Amino acid sequence: MRVMKHRKGQFIILAVLMIAVMMVSLGAVLYSAVTYYKRERWEEYLGIIDHVKIGCYRLAEISLANYTLTNNTNILRDNFIRWQSDLKKVYPGFGIILNYSLTEGLHYVYGENIMYNLGLASRWHSNSSFSAANVTFTMNITSVGLTGYKFKASAFLQVKLLEAVYVDSKKKTWTILLTVDREELMPVTNLQKASFSVSLNNQSKDFSFSRYYNSTYSSFVYQLLCSNTQSPPTSTMVNVTDSRGIKVVASYPPT
Amino acid sequence: MKIKKNVKGQMRVVETILASFIILFALAFVNMLAVTPSSLTYEATELEKIGHNVLHDLDEQRLLGRFIYPPYEWANLTAALMVSLPSDVYFDVTVYDSKDIVVNSVPIRYGDPEVFTKASMIASVSYGVPGYQTSYDPRILVLQLVRG
Repeated sequence: MRVMKHRKGQFIILAVLMIAVMMVSLGAVLYSAVTYYKRERWEEYLGIIDHVKIGCYRLAEISLANYTLTNNTNILRDNFIRWQSDLKKVYPGFGIILNYSLTEGLHYVYGENIMYNLGLASRWHSNSSFSAANVTFTMNITSVGLTGYKFKASAFLQVKLLEAVYVDSKKKTWTILLTVDREELMPVTNLQKASFSVSLNNQSKDFSFSRYYNSTYSSFVYQLLCSNTQSPPTSTMVNVTDSRGIKVVASYPPT
Repeated sequence: MKIKKNVKGQMRVVETILASFIILFALAFVNMLAVTPSSLTYEATELEKIGHNVLHDLDEQRLLGRFIYPPYEWANLTAALMVSLPSDVYFDVTVYDSKDIVVNSVPIRYGDPEVFTKASMIASVSYGVPGYQTSYDPRILVLQLVRG
């Protein structure tokens, strides 16, 4: 009788111990389930992927801007080689490995046949002129086992001279109408007068500047008015540099 | 008989106390593992997330490059961060070049420096900018955040 009572007491202790073990196990399982994403810092990794991507876009723009100024065709490759090693300094411990592939050859992009050389291309002195850069990246983050994340970085600036008309009135004005587009053929609408320069018959010419939406072309246009032009020029050259420093030179045969 | 009953009662009390201790211990252990919104681990992650987003937004708007390259606009960077971050979050930014030399000649900070030295938990975010306009000249921003 006494022994039996003793056993009952032991059983309660054992039962409570088992319940405690179950609670701890359940807690640990719930913890790992609920905080899995937190512990793995997924949001931080996603943030870093975004940072690396935006850095690569900026680098494509910087390299294209440099190329349009210096005509150095190796600039994109050189900059990316340096960026590859500098990225490890920016995000130490993440194991970021960035590989790149510079676009080569003829590609139909943004309505133009673009001939890339080491990821860079330009076609100037045309009434539809452009400067372009295009690179494909593959990113690995070894600390989380992310491999083969691909994305493209491209920079593009296109200037289209829509018309150049001579008005032989008192002011003798040479009117140039043009559009400026960037990647995805998005119109660039924030350019100021300082972004443009005009040469008529290879001589720099002062101009007045306005910008507005033109319903005829269904597009946002820039109008450059060169007054006191004695006769229609034989060559018109418009130099455009956008806020990123990318330059395009467009020419229009006078009519 | 009387004595036996007494012993039985005492044993139950002892068992109950032991059981309570075991359950309390188990609860305390489980609570120690939990990452609640008030815990330091959760707070650091939240601040880091905010810091990442703010720097990313400034970069996307092409403001970050303008602020950290000559002619430097440190005051504008401070103002932009003050506007973008919650008012109870203090920050301290240090800008380094590729040779790990500090670029910012003035402190880019909101909050007393003591807040950062005395804080039990500081969230730190690093952000890289490859260059500005036509030149490759990387900058590394280290943003430290503390909730006041």
